[in-house]
Amino acid sequence: MAALIRGLRAGRVLRGLGSVAVQGTLSPQCSNVRRGFHRAALLRLANDSKSDTSVPPPSYHEVDTAGESSSSSAHGESSEDAQPNTSFQDQSGEHGEDYETEEQLQARILTAALEFVPQHGWTVEAIAAGAETLGLSSASTGMFNNGAGDLALHFVAQCNAQLAETLAEQNNQVQLGQAESKKTAEFLRDAVEVRLRMLIPYIDTWPQAMSILLLPHNIPDSLKHLSTMVDDIWYYAGDRSTDVNWYTRRAALTGIYNTTELVMVQDSSPDFEETWAFLDNRIKDVVNMANTAKQVQATGEAVVQGLMGAAITLKNLTGMNQRR
Amino acid sequence: MQRAAKCALRLDISRAFCPSNVRNCRAVNRVNGSVSCRRYSVLPPPRDEEEKAMLDSMLRVDHAGEYGANRIYAGQMAVLGRTQTGPLIQHMWDQEKMHLERFNEILGEHRVRPTLLLPLWNIAGFALGACTALLGKEGAMACTVAVEESISEHYNSQIRTLMEADPERYTELLQLIKEFRDDEIEHHDTGLEHDAESVSLICWFASYEMYVLVFCCCCV
Repeated sequence: MAALIRGLRAGRVLRGLGSVAVQGTLSPQCSNVRRGFHRAALLRLANDSKSDTSVPPPSYHEVDTAGESSSSSAHGESSEDAQPNTSFQDQSGEHGEDYETEEQLQARILTAALEFVPQHGWTVEAIAAGAETLGLSSASTGMFNNGAGDLALHFVAQCNAQLAETLAEQNNQVQLGQAESKKTAEFLRDAVEVRLRMLIPYIDTWPQAMSILLLPHNIPDSLKHLSTMVDDIWYYAGDRSTDVNWYTRRAALTGIYNTTELVMVQDSSPDFEETWAFLDNRIKDVVNMANTAKQVQATGEAVVQGLMGAAITLKNLTGMNQRR
Repeated sequence: MQRAAKCALRLDISRAFCPSNVRNCRAVNRVNGSVSCRRYSVLPPPRDEEEKAMLDSMLRVDHAGEYGANRIYAGQMAVLGRTQTGPLIQHMWDQEKMHLERFNEILGEHRVRPTLLLPLWNIAGFALGACTALLGKEGAMACTVAVEESISEHYNSQIRTLMEADPERYTELLQLIKEFRDDEIEHHDTGLEHDAESVSLICWFASYEMYVLVFCCCCV
């Protein structure tokens, strides 16, 4: 499925790039020729992006047959996949040791683009500016079909990974006895604060990013990121429940996180004090609710026991409880 | 819960530090210095998303199945608890409780999501157990036979899947599932011994419920 999507993306990219290139030689199935083709385009240091995608060397056609079988090699999910992509081969068929996959390249471009977000917003211009700082042509924005959505999702994924690392590190320290373990409410509060503080450099443009993440075609991905983040936080908070609590806890934390995020984007107090106060209150609410629920349950059980006792007493009094 | 959490987390760390082929890391509970009873990790570290999804789904269904079986026996005990079959049902119920506990541990350790339909199985299982028990001892045993048959079928197909994939990689998991399957077959045989008449409607209904459970819980 991922390979299919990647193939489609590559197809769309090249339809854009190939508009000024030689048309007839490219067949729809040769995704590898396209990869080499648009990689050639990217690696050119061009001033003017649009018109510079000409001249596919004839040797690339030889790559067709050799590269067909490796078209299914596009499985590298994330940028930490260090295996070289076998789809790009130069004339001698060798590839360099430091070759990076397309995903890694995209990740690098998006990370560089984050610098320009305060200036250009969450847009394709920021990605183009980021690509230019890496010495690539700004036509490389064509690699990103989703445009600004890719940038926003990349940022969210990066923040979540950082959060997971921080939580794991804290956990390590607690395990090694170098730090004290926190209570659940405090832990949740700190984790959400750490995660929200990562938004501070981009807080002015964050509403734009939020609206991008709410676009229908971005919703599955952004929900997935949100749910893995919440799951990570609860896991490191020590939650090992295997019943419906698993869902209620995560739902509660998701609610807390989303509302606090909304408060944060329109908070103008120094160092976002109001946001942290709001967060405190929300966490207290949830803890209170949980305690209340426990109390209600205990009370309910006590009431039932009382009623049963009364019924048995009544049966005894009326003589109905005898064994006949 | 804190202690269990510490044990689980420690096991995670020890798994991170141990090489992947040494999976029998015992966790030491630092709270009171004793060696905790945590067994070694049952699943291998996942290779990729697909494998994790497959194993998650399998464990989710197994957990839901054991939970349902637990509730069925609870329903049967509620009705037949004070009769002669009470001790027999209690014995089988205790074994199911052990299975459920083991799956709870595994789900917690490996961060597997439990199925959303657990409350439904809670009620449905109890109702099934209670209703069949109201038909008498034979009804209860017929229900047991049908349910255990479905469960062992299901475990067998999981064993087949794992064997086809990579028997060496999943050794511990296979061992666990085989052990549980043998227990379930034992329950099935016990049910047959104790005059489970083939009350066909009950069998059909019980098996149908188990199949529904299996298919729903794979996804949800």
